Amino acid sequence: MLHRIRHHSWGPPAIPRALAALGLLAVAAPPVAEAQPRPERPDVPSQFAIRGARIVTVSGQTLDNGTVVVSNGVITAVGRNAAVPAGAWVIDGTGKTVYPGLIDALTTLGHPSGRRGGEEGGGGGGGPFGPQGPIDMSRHSWGPEDRPGTHSWKTAAEELDGGDDRYARWRNAGFTTVVSTLEEGLVTGQAAVLNLGEVERPRQMVVATPAAMRVKLQDRSYTGYPNSLLGSFAYLKQLYLDAQYYDRVWTDYDASPVGKQRPEWDLALEPIRHELAEGYPVLFPADNRKEIERAIETSAVMGVPVVVYGAQAGYAAADLLASSRVPALVSLDWPAPPRNGDPEADPSLATLRLWDRAPTTPAALEEAGARFAFYGGSTNPADALTHARTAVRHGLTKQGAIRAFTLSAAEIMGVADRLGSIEPGKIANLLVASGDLFEDGTRVESVFVDGTRFEIPEPSGAAGRARADGAQADAEAAEASVVPMASDKGPYREDRVTFIRGATIMTASHGVVENGSILIRDGKIADVGPNLTAPSGARIVDGTGKFVIPGIIDAHSHIAADAINEGAVNVSAMVGIQDVIDPNDVGIYRALAGGVTSINILHGSANPIGGGNAVVKLRWGSDAKQLLIEGAHPGIKFALGENTKRDRNPDRYPATRMGVQDVVRQAFLEAREYQKGWDAWEAGGRRGIEPRRDLKLESLAQILRGDRWVHSHSYRADEILQLIRLAEEQGFHVRTFQHVLEGYKVADEMAAHGAGASTFSDWWAYKVEAYDAIPYNAALMTERGVLVSINSDSGEEMRHLNQEAAKAMKWGGMDEESALRLVTLNPAMQLGIDDHTGSIDVGKDADLAVYDGNPLDMFAKVVQTYVDGKLYFDMQLDQERQAAIATEKAALIAKHGRNRTGPGAVTDRIAPGPREEVIR
Amino acid sequence: MRRQSLWGLALALAMLGPVTPLGAQTYAIQGGTIHTLTGDTFVGTVVVRDGRIVDVGPNVQPPAGAEVVDATGRHVYPGMFDAVTQLGLTEVGAVDVTNDSREQGDFNPHLQAETAIHPSTEHIPVARANGITHAMAAPEGGIISGQASLVGLDGWTVEEMNIEAGAAMIVNYPSLSARRGFGGFSFGQPRPFSEVEEEYHQRVARLDEWMEGGRRYAQAASAGTVARDLALEAMAKVVSREIPVLLSADGERDIRNAVEWAEGQNIRYVITGGREAWKIADWLAEHDVQMILGPSQAMPADEDASYDEAYANAGKLHAAGVKIAFATFNSSDSRTLPYEAAMAVPFGLPEEAALEAVMKNGAEMLGLGDRMGTIETGKIANLIVTDGNPLEIQTQILDLFILGRQVSTDNRHKSLYEKYRARPKDRVIS
Repeated sequence: MLHRIRHHSWGPPAIPRALAALGLLAVAAPPVAEAQPRPERPDVPSQFAIRGARIVTVSGQTLDNGTVVVSNGVITAVGRNAAVPAGAWVIDGTGKTVYPGLIDALTTLGHPSGRRGGEEGGGGGGGPFGPQGPIDMSRHSWGPEDRPGTHSWKTAAEELDGGDDRYARWRNAGFTTVVSTLEEGLVTGQAAVLNLGEVERPRQMVVATPAAMRVKLQDRSYTGYPNSLLGSFAYLKQLYLDAQYYDRVWTDYDASPVGKQRPEWDLALEPIRHELAEGYPVLFPADNRKEIERAIETSAVMGVPVVVYGAQAGYAAADLLASSRVPALVSLDWPAPPRNGDPEADPSLATLRLWDRAPTTPAALEEAGARFAFYGGSTNPADALTHARTAVRHGLTKQGAIRAFTLSAAEIMGVADRLGSIEPGKIANLLVASGDLFEDGTRVESVFVDGTRFEIPEPSGAAGRARADGAQADAEAAEASVVPMASDKGPYREDRVTFIRGATIMTASHGVVENGSILIRDGKIADVGPNLTAPSGARIVDGTGKFVIPGIIDAHSHIAADAINEGAVNVSAMVGIQDVIDPNDVGIYRALAGGVTSINILHGSANPIGGGNAVVKLRWGSDAKQLLIEGAHPGIKFALGENTKRDRNPDRYPATRMGVQDVVRQAFLEAREYQKGWDAWEAGGRRGIEPRRDLKLESLAQILRGDRWVHSHSYRADEILQLIRLAEEQGFHVRTFQHVLEGYKVADEMAAHGAGASTFSDWWAYKVEAYDAIPYNAALMTERGVLVSINSDSGEEMRHLNQEAAKAMKWGGMDEESALRLVTLNPAMQLGIDDHTGSIDVGKDADLAVYDGNPLDMFAKVVQTYVDGKLYFDMQLDQERQAAIATEKAALIAKHGRNRTGPGAVTDRIAPGPREEVIR
Repeated sequence: MRRQSLWGLALALAMLGPVTPLGAQTYAIQGGTIHTLTGDTFVGTVVVRDGRIVDVGPNVQPPAGAEVVDATGRHVYPGMFDAVTQLGLTEVGAVDVTNDSREQGDFNPHLQAETAIHPSTEHIPVARANGITHAMAAPEGGIISGQASLVGLDGWTVEEMNIEAGAAMIVNYPSLSARRGFGGFSFGQPRPFSEVEEEYHQRVARLDEWMEGGRRYAQAASAGTVARDLALEAMAKVVSREIPVLLSADGERDIRNAVEWAEGQNIRYVITGGREAWKIADWLAEHDVQMILGPSQAMPADEDASYDEAYANAGKLHAAGVKIAFATFNSSDSRTLPYEAAMAVPFGLPEEAALEAVMKNGAEMLGLGDRMGTIETGKIANLIVTDGNPLEIQTQILDLFILGRQVSTDNRHKSLYEKYRARPKDRVIS
């Protein structure tokens, strides 16, 4: 008689599993007596053994002819000759392969909101945050203290939907376990590990909770702060810092409550406090190298271990993941050309490479020794195995593949003590396949969940792929052979010693050296002058007819960043551009081709106090962190006037210049109080509770200490003057006014304050506050003693700042060297990097732009650009690179096509994230 | 060779018709290097009378009573022509009520820019101070935006500026692009192509209906069987080839589609924009397509496009034999027109061709080459006197003649500069 180990009160109606089972996996058991009533779901008994099968234990050796013994849902023995207890059922496994049941390491199973589609990809760029249409103010966040986007108290385990039809579908695809996560919010809630058995009550599925905390970087369930990628990073950091403080306060109170004010209990912080104590990981979206780098940086501040998910471009970040020991959940939903796309579409090189190489990610991670697990990422769970086979064809070992589906997932989720391998003592989650799981044609015949067997129905029609024939195998081999990558980034040359000979050298600091030479050694300018001789071994560059100037410095740029404005709040000092630097922005290379070597990436002008800046060198091909200029003074963007006060929905204070000044003043009053709290704690020998870190006020306090420089967007003379006076009142300094189109009207006051000016050459009239803009501004302010630079605020304009500087010669009669300084030495001084760069002087970094004529004329163009002595742009070599890129693209398009035919939505999930319009 | 009889000139003037009241003063610009843009450059004299060039040559003497303008050591060029602008139609971009270039609706062929040109806009003196002497003020938006008006950049009233009120019809050829976004930006996922294609065909069908409407109206109107319809009357001018169409298209495919459409309609047309025209330069040359290019100082259209795509566009077209002109498609930036042409020079456009592209070619494309664009007897006297090549930033515009009138280079910017430069230093309180 069959013993039912579990009673099933719900689930799919009477599937004749038992009958099918007899045919598929011979059970050495007496047949069911005809006379007895047919059980609703007959199954193998609580004690059984599978004998004679190939057993892939994952944790240990694979047994070619082994036995696994299960009792009451737990594996009790595994081995070649494991003893089968008396009375146990014996299942003949001859010809079968037994694996641990597969784990889908990231799903939304159990949660109706997740049924609409697949998992989201990675972090993505900025984005149209917030819903369209009328704003639901009940879900509006006015700042970091409002947390409609934090659902840390929700647990996937509690809210399980018993009627989710996906449990069975996932099980039929070979999954016995999933990591279930919630989707709503930036902090979506606690993930749970679920076994996909058929149970009476959903909670019986739970294996472990909380297993992890899943976060996202954009969310549409609320409006307001944060509404940008910039804000999302700051938000997450502040949330976890607050939880750390919350822990300090409660720990102190609980230790001795007597006489103390009771702290406020907080629903959102409580579970994070628990997370910090338990040390379970945060699941962080990150598809590619830059996003992985960000996840690592951010989680370090959050104080929790991090696991990245998405990771499809992990092939280019394997070393980073391995060295940082950050595990990755790799989405198996490999990107592919869109359906119903434009037949003449020209997919970008980055997109094509991702199509080609995403399936090589697992192999690359395996080779680098990085830890990774798989998640299906698709609405169809059967795709997971198909896509894993693709990864195997792309070089992943089969051992690596099964580990990523089982033990690695269990390890990452902290449940390797009970799941993930076939070992005595572990939960009896098993998969029985007709052969090797990663060979085409192999079928998953049954799975065991907690020792309960589920037969997998034979797929109908031709769904089960036959073993590849010769032609198909060839096609697959071709598909798995990736197109070689052209070198599209990085310097063209890195010579230790370079000697530029016989050029006109415009030093920007000490006049022009005619027929002069520059010696570059180890990235620095080692010598400059008219009568130098080349040291032996130096690479000689013939400068005849050429003009060399210091690399151009743009004091106001918005390239190379995935977000610019955090405009949901009027003070966003907590955010910083360094969190969102995009080192892959082709704008970097284009700027190099315009002679630019350093830029100041600024926050936008949406609010009176914006976020931190990033002063970077254009080391094209480096990671974000390597772009940052060592020792550059931190700065912050302020903004005055029209952009900060324009109509918003919902209304945001301020709406007048009076209000703008008020916002800035109030912020500094608050910052001063904040600093007092810390000073008192320090003065008291750091006794008592360490004060709360507030990233916004910390940044403002740095301004008051002179540790962070203010770069203020401004137009009208009156607002410039008001900020100067406010700064003097509050005890801070305005390092530069940006745009400052009416600066010429108050140049004396700016000079007296010591404020620099970074202006446009000749833009005007695009708004009222730009109506009095004049192209003489740079010359006139210089004449009145202001340190002036000309900036671009534009990815295009920055490519000919030399010409923009020349406009100051035309409009205002500036001399050549002073004009050149507007885009070299002066911005370097304004950014505090003039010790390193900005002029051609011995000892400075060899940041140089070489032109084929006088760069202050219109008919000169850049022929070479050096950063740190490395050749990052060369007109001739650029041609070769363009040709190589074109060849690679042609090969990629030949292999993948531009599109897939057939109906269906365009699903180009790797389209670059939306870019914000920059308001200047 | 350059001297014609005055009778001949008078005849020519009569044929051209008295549209614009031109300057009555006689000027002799003497001693400068005259860049005629007809192939001749020489030191000589240009005589301007009644708004036109009446004499030019190396040995021309100033007529009696002429005001002599000493141009010794200087250069005389035809004034620059910004072939598509919003000059006069906008004052402050961000302030909607100051903008008059964009009417409601997709089809407004009967509207003329001239109606809304604000002669005392501050943009005009700023533009001409850098040598822009005439411009097309063009309506924007929709599919048929209206008629662009060719104006000289000087006049107490628009009537004094007007050269040709209905100089061209502005048609924005429907774009077939699945990309979302504008300019160099793209937003999110591309749209399903079938949807884009359907929308494109619908838009072209609507445009075709207007063209067909113009044809039928012309027939019916000549037969006297139809009530007057201003919009169709304007379209009749297009289909009868009376006025050219400025047909905007930027992407390679859009340009191809626009050209094929225009050829099918048998209209006079010039393609405007032309960002990716270089990709089909030879094809464009074969089809004798003329192009008014958007700014050279522009970003490449695609992520993988070469950094110099926009810089090199004009040079490649010129080399293939395509006739080009430049325009700023702007108002406040109209003064940067010479730099859009200059930017193309180090990337392959010959210097002379660059000058022609901002002085001569635009007028020819619009069928106005007999009236302007070179320094020749009989041409409207739009001239600039400079201290060098006007494509160079450092070159100063020293004298301006627009419609035969000597015009000041003063402007709002210069006066603000002078005013604040004179601000006393000792008034600083701090």
